[in-house]
Amino acid sequence: MTELNPIIALMFFPGGIFVMLLGLLYVWINRKLRARLQNRVGPRWFQPIADLFKLLSKEEIIPEDANPTLFVVLPVLALAGVLTAALYVPILGMKAVHSVPGDLIITVYLLSLVTMCIGLAGANSTGRFSLVGVTRTLTQLFSYEAPFLLALLSPAIMAGTWQISEIVDYAGGRWLMFTHPISFIIAIVALMGKLEMPPFDAPEAETEIVGGALTEYNGRGLALFKLSHAAEMVIGFALVTALFMGGTTNPLLWAVQTLVLLLVVTLIEVLMARMRIDQTVGLWWRYGSVLAIVQIIVLVVWQRIVL
Amino acid sequence: MSVTKIGTMFGDVVNGLFKKPATNLYPFERREAPERLRGHVVWDASLCTGCGLCAKDCPSNALDMIVLDRKAKRFVMRYRLDQCTYCAQCATSCRAGAISLAYDQWELAAPTRESFLHIYGAPDDIAEALAAEANGETGEA
Amino acid sequence: MNNGNGNKIANKFVVPIGPQHPALKEPEHFEFTVDGETVIDATARLGYAHRGIEKTAESRTFVQTLYMMERVCGICSHVHATAFSLCVEKLAEVEAPPRAQAIRVLVAELERIHSHLLWLGVGAHEAGFDALFMYSWRDREVVMDILEALTGNRVNYSANVLGGVKCDVTDAIRDQILTGIDYLEERTHHYYDVVTTDAAFLQRTRGVGTMTKEQAMRLGVVGPTARGSGVEQDLRVDAPYAAYDIFRVNRVVEQGGDLEARFIVRVKELFESYRIIREVLDNLPEGELTARMPRRIKEGEAITRVEAPRGELFYYVRSNGTDMPDRVKVRTPTIPNMASVLHLAIGHQLADVPMILAGIDPCFSCNDRSVRLKSAGGDDVWTWEKLRKYGIDYYND
Repeated sequence: MTELNPIIALMFFPGGIFVMLLGLLYVWINRKLRARLQNRVGPRWFQPIADLFKLLSKEEIIPEDANPTLFVVLPVLALAGVLTAALYVPILGMKAVHSVPGDLIITVYLLSLVTMCIGLAGANSTGRFSLVGVTRTLTQLFSYEAPFLLALLSPAIMAGTWQISEIVDYAGGRWLMFTHPISFIIAIVALMGKLEMPPFDAPEAETEIVGGALTEYNGRGLALFKLSHAAEMVIGFALVTALFMGGTTNPLLWAVQTLVLLLVVTLIEVLMARMRIDQTVGLWWRYGSVLAIVQIIVLVVWQRIVL
Repeated sequence: MSVTKIGTMFGDVVNGLFKKPATNLYPFERREAPERLRGHVVWDASLCTGCGLCAKDCPSNALDMIVLDRKAKRFVMRYRLDQCTYCAQCATSCRAGAISLAYDQWELAAPTRESFLHIYGAPDDIAEALAAEANGETGEA
Repeated sequence: MNNGNGNKIANKFVVPIGPQHPALKEPEHFEFTVDGETVIDATARLGYAHRGIEKTAESRTFVQTLYMMERVCGICSHVHATAFSLCVEKLAEVEAPPRAQAIRVLVAELERIHSHLLWLGVGAHEAGFDALFMYSWRDREVVMDILEALTGNRVNYSANVLGGVKCDVTDAIRDQILTGIDYLEERTHHYYDVVTTDAAFLQRTRGVGTMTKEQAMRLGVVGPTARGSGVEQDLRVDAPYAAYDIFRVNRVVEQGGDLEARFIVRVKELFESYRIIREVLDNLPEGELTARMPRRIKEGEAITRVEAPRGELFYYVRSNGTDMPDRVKVRTPTIPNMASVLHLAIGHQLADVPMILAGIDPCFSCNDRSVRLKSAGGDDVWTWEKLRKYGIDYYND
């Protein structure tokens, strides 16, 4: 596809408004699918947009002991992080808007910036539930980050580069998920951890700590956090698709791939009970990292010896 | 109990996707109320003997019986919908079978409180009873 | 701030659960002192759902009080009404006819099914397992429709009157009950499977909230909570009331003592209830539905103990010859079980606390009573021996 004017790419398409709207669509599909799997009706198509408008129209109440500037700035920072990450990831079958050496790491850390902002926001709120939620969020961040990166590392090592577009070129239309099966599975499950979807939703466990780190957030701040969560969903799926399912050039195929990923993730979400935070950490550090390392070793050995 | 599986609800969940949702889309779909549903209290004046046990036994004082003339069977019954707990004790206490609970009148919400007061009886009986009460002479059972 | 041993807890973190909290279905206030994620102390403050029902009984007739007592709790309303009716019938020396007693048993078992299915969903929701929550509540609708067809209401059935029952079982209703029970039994087999084999769910319930048999007996827990720890106590077997001497119940006891055992006990009790209902419907005695009950109950006092879905329910009624009761005292099963939560929560993670709380099947609207100590003196914690001694001395004086 042709080079777009960078401002248009950042604000409207494919970053910015487009990725936010696509995120809201994916959030709706997730909620509707989850409802249908539980034999319920589920919300209508405009529900996430309606929620957003409702939140934007409410008064923002800042807790007394919180730092007001931080309180207001952190959601904006989170959204900015996600939208910047959108620039480096191929969306909708087009090449990424920008491509710099090492942009795989940049994207992953921009996505982690969102989680860090949530953690800081909770710590700033100084409510008791928020503080427990912050501890859990940051603990979970440290536990799934390593397996996630290791899983994304295996195509990178094969391609010999950290640049997403070069990895996509290396894949050249082949679906790497068949040759890197374990990494693919770990990447999907770690994505669920990053997005705080059940069974890894201990940081925002509704029945234990009300709202987790974002308990005290309301109005515009909450709306922006929800938007950044929605956009993070799209970017996450786009990243996994680009690396493991052959960076495709066909928009329709890209949409189908990401929707299939969403379906799989929703199914896992519905089938499992919530895991306690210590069980999550145990799972990731014991099985996740080890399996990812094993996969990388197998691939390196294969490349050196067999090929 | 040593076997553990992952995703035991898989069959349910996948089936649920293809079945009609279990939600009843009220008010577009209304289900049939069973015959014994305890709804609005209905008073049949022709069978009433004026004993007033229904009003006495009501746990929430929702029924009020005013006896104007027992021999001529002129009674006025005041029924407060908002106080009623729909327990059917009045129907059980009545030995003449004059009180029953309608099973098809259960959508009783209203925006104002005034509509919840029902006064049963012949119109001039009602007027006489209310006037007597206003003057301070009550003939309540 | 001191804990029970008098040690100072230095700047630890207090997490309040309630009165408004998504984990609680009704308001109560708990404070858990945590160190990181581990709970090191727990206190409770009850009384948010206190409505003064025992007081209203003193100014209403026996007939009106029956309906007041029914509304102490929404999920166990029938056993409250049954216990009160049995008490007043004992005072008036009236025996309800056998058909009425059998129908009381029928509705009580249907209510037990309703309560256990509700609890299964709530327990799953506390664990984050929403699929089980939605499906078990969907199946609960079947038993609620049965109860609506039989008695006229989905909760607060008002099936009891003083001296018998109000509603009869016709053939159509009998068929509806049997069809519904068949469907529910099939689903319950599936839920038993889920509760005992689902790996993610077992991680949240196995080994959590373990209470040994000695602890259970010392803390005085009742009901399925106690039966999950090996205490063999079921009032329907030990002290049969209504028609339970004709329709025999088998005790369901598990030895595990943890949350998983409590889940298993309640699911197995569902199977027992299905069996009893079928037996009752097959052998419903003929006869009338009510016995003649006098309006003025003669002087005296009576107690009844009844097995509610949550444990032992205790009623004391004193009459003074008029048509209004002198005193009604209710002791619901959640009160003893609540103390065990505070004891068990210590040492567990914060994430386990809602599960432990859900594990005793709390019914907060049942358990709010107020007790005023007139002259006992002192506000230190009384031990069991001190309380017993006080009671013995009081009667000896």
